[in-house]
Amino acid sequence: MPSNYPGFKYGADRETFSAAKVKALESLLIEKGIITGKTVDNVLGYFETEMGPFNGAKLVARAWVDPAFKQRLIADCNAACEELDFPAGMSGAEGEHMRIVENTPDVHNVIVCTLCSCYPWPTLGLPPYWFKDPTFRARVVREPRVVLSEFGVKLDKSVQIKVWDSSAQIRWWVLPMRPPGSENMTEKQLAALLTPEAMMGVGNVTV
Amino acid sequence: MKLQHNLGGLEGLDPINVETKVFVEPWEKRIFGIHTAMMALSNQLGSSPPKYAIEKVPTKFKSFWTWGHLRMGAEAMHPFEYFRLRYYEKWLGGISGFFVSEGYITQAELDTRTAEFLADSQKSAAPLPSGGSPAIDAQVTKYLREGDSPMRPLPAPPKFREGDQVRVKDVNSADHSRLPGNLKGKVAKVVRVYEGAFTYFFPTKDGIGTPMPVYSLVFKPEDLWEESLIDPNSVYYNDIFEVYLEAV
Repeated sequence: MPSNYPGFKYGADRETFSAAKVKALESLLIEKGIITGKTVDNVLGYFETEMGPFNGAKLVARAWVDPAFKQRLIADCNAACEELDFPAGMSGAEGEHMRIVENTPDVHNVIVCTLCSCYPWPTLGLPPYWFKDPTFRARVVREPRVVLSEFGVKLDKSVQIKVWDSSAQIRWWVLPMRPPGSENMTEKQLAALLTPEAMMGVGNVTV
Repeated sequence: MKLQHNLGGLEGLDPINVETKVFVEPWEKRIFGIHTAMMALSNQLGSSPPKYAIEKVPTKFKSFWTWGHLRMGAEAMHPFEYFRLRYYEKWLGGISGFFVSEGYITQAELDTRTAEFLADSQKSAAPLPSGGSPAIDAQVTKYLREGDSPMRPLPAPPKFREGDQVRVKDVNSADHSRLPGNLKGKVAKVVRVYEGAFTYFFPTKDGIGTPMPVYSLVFKPEDLWEESLIDPNSVYYNDIFEVYLEAV
């Protein structure tokens, strides 16, 4: 007797249907006075221009050139954010309580939210697809070294991996190591080396 | 406990799909924006530490909407449906269902308009309606900048201290939980007692939703997984609400 489960089936109109449905929903919400015609574009613009991984990159670059700042960033991420010239909102939505963990030659950190997608919006912006995919969430907590190698981060067995899962209200992110060859670079040049993946613990930083 | 409460450590999965885009289809941006607006206009912000005059915002949205509501929708799904759908597909279903169940729109309105867009490419390509009170968008921006900190004064001293061994309780996850299922019954060490207490806005049947201490716990891999599955040089940290913990 086969299972009654019908299998994962998708209509040929999978994306066109969702696109039509979300447009229908948004247009109804505007007409009924719940949101305005500009609300969604304003939200998206905020994450394109004000809160995104470019903020985290500036913080990491500053930490690389200023050891005292690095200690303050690790001790109190939200307070350290106030030292740089960011737009208002570094302790705003999904950034109210952020913490950063530092990679060293002996310890490598990686973040995950196995239950959903908790993420520090002000420093890293919005989470990439892979972070929300159940495969990453399921695998990284048990076999982090294998998962990291699939991202291209090859760690020797002697390097301890710390996996930071978010199931409460702290939003974690990672301070990568400053790469060799970057000794003469300016803070701005250093910030340009960083990717969201590097600040989540799954990306290499190279010059 | 549902499979979606118990993802950690599933075996036999595929390699990681390293897709770095946030939105893999353009429509996904719109449902993200709608959810964020709902968070910013939710009625519980009237009692939040950042002072929001939420009742004066000229939106017709007067409901309670938090991450808990969104997550409960996904966690309540048939487990296979949860895995069949992409992240924002789950959002679209849950959010549109919420607007129908709260009476802001009817299912018929939504279905009819969706069908119109599918049938008529001119209509589907037309701009969205314009207008609406700028005060609504001012509140959405204020929420993004000021957030909604869940930190509250401690109602009672924390039960555990740094260095204590604790066991994760085997609570019933019910329809929404912030306890990964694979941690139930496992032993860990408290490495940090966070300052203050944390609420969760949304009261869950498994016990969170009022201010309580939160602990940073460290788990050894051999306490979580079978010997043959462990990476001996790794450790796993998670932040766990006090109600989920008991003394060893």
